Amino acid sequence: MRIRRVRLAWVAWIASSALLLSCSNNPYPGADDTVKVRYGALPSAPKTLDPAVTYSSLEHKITANVYETLLEYHYLKRPYTLMPGLAQAVPEARPLGDGRVAYRFDVRPGMLFQDDPCFELGEVGRRTREILASDFAFQLMRIGDPEIPSQVVQTFSKLDGFSQFRERLKQLRESEEGFAELRIDLQYRRAGPIEGIRVDGDTGLELVLSEVYPQLLYWFAMPFTAPVPWEAVVYYDGKEGRDFFRDHPVSSGPFKIAEYDRFFRIVMVRNENWYGVRHPEWKAPGTVYPSSGEPGDAAAGLLDPDYVGRSLPLLDRIEYRIEKESIPYFNKFLQGYYDAAGIIRESFDKVVQQGRLSSEMKARGMRLEKSVDPAISYLGFNMNDAVVGTPGGDKARKLRQAMSLAVDAEEYKRIFINGRGILAQTPIPPGLFGYDPDYRNPYRTPDLDAARKLLEEAGYTGGIDPETGEPLHLTFDIGDASTRTRVTYGFFIDAWAELGLDVELAATNYNQFREKVKKGSYQIFTWGWIADYPDPENFLFLLWGPMAQATSLGPNTANFDHPRFNELFLEMKDRPNDVRRIALIREMREILERERPWIELLHSESYALYHGWLKNLKPAGLSLPQAKYMDIDAGLRAAQRVEWNDPIVWPAWAVTGIGIAIVIPGILTFLRERQ
Amino acid sequence: MDAHHWQNLVVAVLVSGAVVAWLRARRSDLWRDAGRQVVKRRPLACSVVAFYSVLALADAVSWKSDDPDCAGLSQHKPRSVIDRAFRCDFQERSYSAPLADREFYGGNELTFPGLHPMGTDIRGRDVLHLALKGARIALLIGGFTSLIVIPLALFFGISAGYFGGRVDDAVFFVISVLSSIPGLLLLIALIMVLGHGALQVCIAMGITSWVGFSRVVRGETFKLRELEYVQAARALGVSEFKIIWRHIVPNLMHLVVITFVLLFSGLVLSEAILAWLGIGIDGSWGQMIDMARDELSRDPIIWWNLAAASIALFGLILAVNFVGDAVRDVLDPKTLREDA
Amino acid sequence: MLAYVIRRMAYGFVTVLGVLALLFFLFFLYATPDEMARRSLGEKAPPQAIHDWVVKHGYDKPAWSWSDPKESQLYNHYHSMLTFNFGTSDADDSLIAPQIRKRMIPSLVLTLPLFFTGITLGIVFALFVAYFRDTYIDRMGVVIAVLAMSVSVLLYIIGGQYLIGKLLRWFPISGFDPDPALIARFMALPWAIGLLSGLGESVRFYRTVFIEETSRDYVRTARAKGCGDGRVMGAHVLRNAMIPILTRVVVSIPFLFMGSLLLESFFGIPGLGSMMVDAIQGNDFSTLRVMVFISSLLFIGGQIATDISYTLADPRVRLD
Repeated sequence: MRIRRVRLAWVAWIASSALLLSCSNNPYPGADDTVKVRYGALPSAPKTLDPAVTYSSLEHKITANVYETLLEYHYLKRPYTLMPGLAQAVPEARPLGDGRVAYRFDVRPGMLFQDDPCFELGEVGRRTREILASDFAFQLMRIGDPEIPSQVVQTFSKLDGFSQFRERLKQLRESEEGFAELRIDLQYRRAGPIEGIRVDGDTGLELVLSEVYPQLLYWFAMPFTAPVPWEAVVYYDGKEGRDFFRDHPVSSGPFKIAEYDRFFRIVMVRNENWYGVRHPEWKAPGTVYPSSGEPGDAAAGLLDPDYVGRSLPLLDRIEYRIEKESIPYFNKFLQGYYDAAGIIRESFDKVVQQGRLSSEMKARGMRLEKSVDPAISYLGFNMNDAVVGTPGGDKARKLRQAMSLAVDAEEYKRIFINGRGILAQTPIPPGLFGYDPDYRNPYRTPDLDAARKLLEEAGYTGGIDPETGEPLHLTFDIGDASTRTRVTYGFFIDAWAELGLDVELAATNYNQFREKVKKGSYQIFTWGWIADYPDPENFLFLLWGPMAQATSLGPNTANFDHPRFNELFLEMKDRPNDVRRIALIREMREILERERPWIELLHSESYALYHGWLKNLKPAGLSLPQAKYMDIDAGLRAAQRVEWNDPIVWPAWAVTGIGIAIVIPGILTFLRERQ
Repeated sequence: MDAHHWQNLVVAVLVSGAVVAWLRARRSDLWRDAGRQVVKRRPLACSVVAFYSVLALADAVSWKSDDPDCAGLSQHKPRSVIDRAFRCDFQERSYSAPLADREFYGGNELTFPGLHPMGTDIRGRDVLHLALKGARIALLIGGFTSLIVIPLALFFGISAGYFGGRVDDAVFFVISVLSSIPGLLLLIALIMVLGHGALQVCIAMGITSWVGFSRVVRGETFKLRELEYVQAARALGVSEFKIIWRHIVPNLMHLVVITFVLLFSGLVLSEAILAWLGIGIDGSWGQMIDMARDELSRDPIIWWNLAAASIALFGLILAVNFVGDAVRDVLDPKTLREDA
Repeated sequence: MLAYVIRRMAYGFVTVLGVLALLFFLFFLYATPDEMARRSLGEKAPPQAIHDWVVKHGYDKPAWSWSDPKESQLYNHYHSMLTFNFGTSDADDSLIAPQIRKRMIPSLVLTLPLFFTGITLGIVFALFVAYFRDTYIDRMGVVIAVLAMSVSVLLYIIGGQYLIGKLLRWFPISGFDPDPALIARFMALPWAIGLLSGLGESVRFYRTVFIEETSRDYVRTARAKGCGDGRVMGAHVLRNAMIPILTRVVVSIPFLFMGSLLLESFFGIPGLGSMMVDAIQGNDFSTLRVMVFISSLLFIGGQIATDISYTLADPRVRLD
């Protein structure tokens, strides 16, 4: 009996030490030291991969690499420049004389979709088919389909007859029996055609807009307008074990989905049917590595002669995992199990010190790339509010000016976002037309004395509200109650407290916040905007009266409605980028400077932090198909991972030893006492 | 009345209630003896609990006064005894290590070099100050919620156990419905409905925690009702209310005391989880820990926030757990097990 | 016996109805369909799309209507839950039932071993400590147990990941892989942490139970008859302590399926716990409602099972 026990203990001992010695923190199975696999992470599961619906940059990380578009942004050039993708050339606007404008796209002939069983629907035994102009028209019609919750309907309503199509489709589905059960492309054919979308043969696509809208072309560089085969939408209906279309893209791009478990892992592999792979001889701009970029790209190693002119894509496989908690994600990045840390949050000081890569990380071969996002974050006032808004007249304006003067965005940037960003003086971010690097907004240069003086002029001497004799009480509503947000926004509370203002941070969840916004019961809020396309119109419309939240549920949450500003906006909106446009933007800027509906904070910067084995990464604020340009040095990665991840085993023995040391004397004592 | 005031009021009521209870208990030999035994068994834990209570109390009493150090808004805000133990506006601009004289990043000079024994947090607030203030929140969570739980549980438990029949059926139904829903989920759902804030969180915790105790009260009342002297009182025609008040409630008091102590640590710990979900109470240790988990991956790491909050939390829970064990052993070794 | 089981089931069903009523009341009070739509569709969604979404999800219907009960939210609520037609998620319109089936597996992979080792280790340690009662092993065991249960779960996870995953590099810090050969590597850390954070409390609980049992007459009799200490603890005490142990074990069965909210989120395990966190943070009521409903069902079923298992564990208990 006794012997057996001892033997058991030995077996357990050996087993556990074997487990410890064989353990490894490598999370991947299989050999990835020869195959070019890129490992990435997403902070949450994508909701959908339907290109008509996907809007978030998270979802675009997948769709932009799977769905190829007619136009593309140049990978390296800044400001962002359009170049042809699936189209032969970037089309020119052709005025039709009556205020309408036409564009003609010529689709490259002979390109194929990925192999997919859905194509059997068109012809038995067929695994793929050519990408046709009608596939683009079909996708545009899908955007107009009221059943598909696309957020870009309004933009494409500028196409002649688009809204009427939407209406007709809705009515037919409601009134005509059996219509809704028809095959989707037949439904569209019955409800169509849309006058503004004309398919000319296999490759011609003519679009007619009812008004001048030069920004239209940008939308053709986003996945919304990617070609979608009707077969895919019909086949992937979620029935009989088939996926839903939104979970099963049929690729026209350089990669295709190999595995899609949206809460766990998304795997993309090379699409052998992509036109770049099948026709490298075309040397189409979207299929070869670019030979020129912006100044500094060469120094950053982005114009490596090894790559310039090479056919894309360079990777074999892309694996995205869902990593909700940022800390494990970042630690795994440091251990070499992720190639890049996409978003740098405040926890990344180890690598970034004062905006530069720390020497320790440089020694490990890490790289850091920065680029300013076409985005803005700001604090806004509800201009309908009696105390801080337009009804408060001059008094409220001075209050807003004072509050603007108290906010030190530089300090905010330094403490909370590691200096990632440049201070915003106006809504327009750098890289866009109308951005003026020399302009300093006098109300965005912190000056507490001036702020106190303005408060005094406004009647709130020392922050005291004369009506109550107490400090003026305002509320700052945010729609995110996480601890991080509360602590972060407390910074502004502290800043205003220095003026003697009693601003309360009302952190509720998103629903409750939206409810308050809907009711108009908010005073100060914070919001951000990321450009849909690089044009100042996309930012200044956030303050345009007709876009006010209160009247039209628009994105003008500040409810700013200034007659002169509105007038200027209308004139500026569709103008070409000329001197007059600059002058208009200047005058708008002056109004914003004085009226202070916003306290502009920052244009954020994207930091791409990546290991030395990941090549050709250039951060971008817009959603570009980046994956096809990147490359992996798999051998280097394998070697460094081994070097960095040697487990330290001795503490395990130490803990076991201590445990035994505690228990044994006890047992001995007990046995002695018993006898 | 703003949030600050009602929190003060709650603590004040709690303390005066405790004093009254203590005074009354002293008159009874049984309680006085029990109290002595608990202190004798766990003297250290008892004094730690007392220390935390004093801290909470000190942070609950606040008033406005002119302090030459104060500037801006802080001159008009009430400050508690704990706040007054620190200088007014005792704040830096960002992180600084314990007793450092420069900022942790960037190396700017501090306004109060070498004076922050536990360093400062991301907004430059003194960590020791924050950790001490957390005691009030913890007491609020545990104490105020118990104030909701105990009357609720007594009311439902006694009425079910004493009157039986339909009343019992109804109460038992409510109990089984509430206890069928996983506690944490129900808690989250309730907070989503009620909204954020200290009061709401306490109410939600109250609603989710009274059920278990109520079941015990119901069982005990069943037994008590059958006792001879209660039966005799009923036969004499003493009013039901009087019987309950005179004979049932006093005999349940030991259970109330045990429940209060045992409930306390569970509540404070579950607030930490709520904080992680973003629905905790401002200023709690849970929130400090939640914030600090990001800081652990900074390098050199920022450990003082996490350390201060977790030591404060651990100290209180540990002491309360020990006292709870002792109280249970002394008052009632049988009836209550800490089963789910 | 059979009559009792049927009666017990009937009462369980009534409780389920009550749970559903409570759920409806909670979520109906809170839900603001427009905002849920906006959240689901995106910030830039046009008003028409939001309206369509609300209609599609049935949030435009009245809470209850006497004239046409089938067109009310309450009816739909009961109907869809009781027929197990869980419908689609409010966050992304995906079907809930297949999602739950799929994500139950990682949760079980996490919780099942945790559950069984937790019980076994808890009982073994408790027996050990109880066997050495009133020696310093017992006293220290209790102190360690209380120490262990006074630490917040958050701290266990944060500390464990930092120490074992980052500093010592024994296991991956987080992650999951359905490949059976790799599961243990990913699960080792969450298992260890889950075990550690729960052990203190359960050892203390089981110890109380065992010590109560050892003070009973039959134990003394058995000892007097010359039964060895080990035999007394193993055979008599353990068997007679079955009822409190069973109660505790069965009550925690629903949590097996629901996974662990914290562990799954921190370790990136795509199970039901992290699904629940997603639903909470995304205000996805239809998913949350289903999860709460299922866990209540499991709980109620578990309770019935406990009552029945009492008779099996202890012939003294009779059901009638």
